[in-house]
Amino acid sequence: MNKFNQFLVALVAGVAVFVAVGFFLIAGHRGSASLTAADVVAQTPAAVGKGAPVDSAKCIMPVDYMRAHHMQVLDKWRKDSVRKGTRTFVNPEGAHFDKSLNTCMGCHGSNPMFCFMCHEYANVKPTCWNCHLSPMEVPQ
Amino acid sequence: MKKVLKPLILVIVLALVPYVGVTYGKLDYLFAIIVPYAATAILVLGMIWRLIDWLRRPVPFRIPTTCGQEQSLDWIKTNPLECPSNPFMAAMRVLSEVFLFRSLFRNTRAELHSGPKLVYGSHKWLWLGGLAFHWSLLIVVIRHARFFFEAMPFPVQMIETMDSLLDVTVPTLFLTDAVALAAVTFLVLRRLQDEKMRLISLSTDYFPLFLIGAIAAIGVSMRYVTKVNIMPVKALTLSLAHFGFDAPEPIGALFYVHLFLVCVLLAYVPFSKLVHMGAIFLSPTRNLPNDSRAKRHVNPWNPDIKFRTYAEYEDEFREKMKKAGLPVEKQ
Repeated sequence: MNKFNQFLVALVAGVAVFVAVGFFLIAGHRGSASLTAADVVAQTPAAVGKGAPVDSAKCIMPVDYMRAHHMQVLDKWRKDSVRKGTRTFVNPEGAHFDKSLNTCMGCHGSNPMFCFMCHEYANVKPTCWNCHLSPMEVPQ
Repeated sequence: MKKVLKPLILVIVLALVPYVGVTYGKLDYLFAIIVPYAATAILVLGMIWRLIDWLRRPVPFRIPTTCGQEQSLDWIKTNPLECPSNPFMAAMRVLSEVFLFRSLFRNTRAELHSGPKLVYGSHKWLWLGGLAFHWSLLIVVIRHARFFFEAMPFPVQMIETMDSLLDVTVPTLFLTDAVALAAVTFLVLRRLQDEKMRLISLSTDYFPLFLIGAIAAIGVSMRYVTKVNIMPVKALTLSLAHFGFDAPEPIGALFYVHLFLVCVLLAYVPFSKLVHMGAIFLSPTRNLPNDSRAKRHVNPWNPDIKFRTYAEYEDEFREKMKKAGLPVEKQ
């Protein structure tokens, strides 16, 4: 057994352990996630759709900015509202918005495919719907 | 310093070409459609030409390397991976080279200490850096399949999930993005920091490193910092994957810099050291089983020598030999 063979054995063993742990984690996660999602759907039907306080009919920022940075805006909003408790967003024009996914859904919720059209096309899976009800899950 | 600066300037100029062309010349179609197809054609045809050229050369003899004990008598322990005696283990040896860079694992470094004393020591940093560099680039390339398929294939999705395991930053940080940038930086610095390495490094060593570094840096920047509109990008890549020729919708100039540098890299591969991606499979010291003792290998270009046996010689001179009193085998 030279050094490289030892390395090979260690590598194979490591990969095997990694794959096994990953498999069980993902398998376990899948099971629990689907269970909770089903529970939530059963308990609170149509929780989104209704619309939160929205200051204006216009979007918080220009379209180009939103296209490129919406994920960062949402991420910041989550941190601000959940961890810091600052729930009001003021855009450069001085309009006030509630830092909530419901602010977005107030307009964009009308089209249940609004998020999915682009995200499916670009093969990008956002983590929003791990916790939030997606527009697809809300009965129209 | 010229060896470093020239490729650096070349990469900067190459990056400026599409930037100027798209921003001022409205050459979107050229850089989005024509250049990628041309580069891919050069890559495919160039690699085929290269590999056919190498495959046609006869390799009549095995080249036993001194890395392991060749198969011998039963009571001598052999090392089948380092010195394979059958094609299967030889294939394993090639694969250990391709996937794990086995030869670089053997890397040593000579250092001159005061005394004077010359010391050889194991030096695994090149192996580790190379491994990190190649594997992260491979995963980055596989991840780009999301642009070329309408629905992401499951293995690609799994790789992406693994790659974004940390789940930090938005958009999610891909580990391989960070590793690739770190590794390419290490590989450049490795050539620059040591006097001996500086001496043997050529501009053709630095150019691919700078090129790949620029491609990675721009790609990372497009993902995390300076955004481009991803919808027309996906439309363009899907169209390219289907061999379409539709003119693309406007995309940021930065994307064209990324794409053009990738095209330069693709076209550069068959004519540079990067051709090792295909040549590694043809290395005679790796892919031939060391069975010189078990099998006779005849050189195919040996001239057809006309041998004359002693029997023929005796047939011709038998009478003369008899007269001279020489012994003959046949009467």
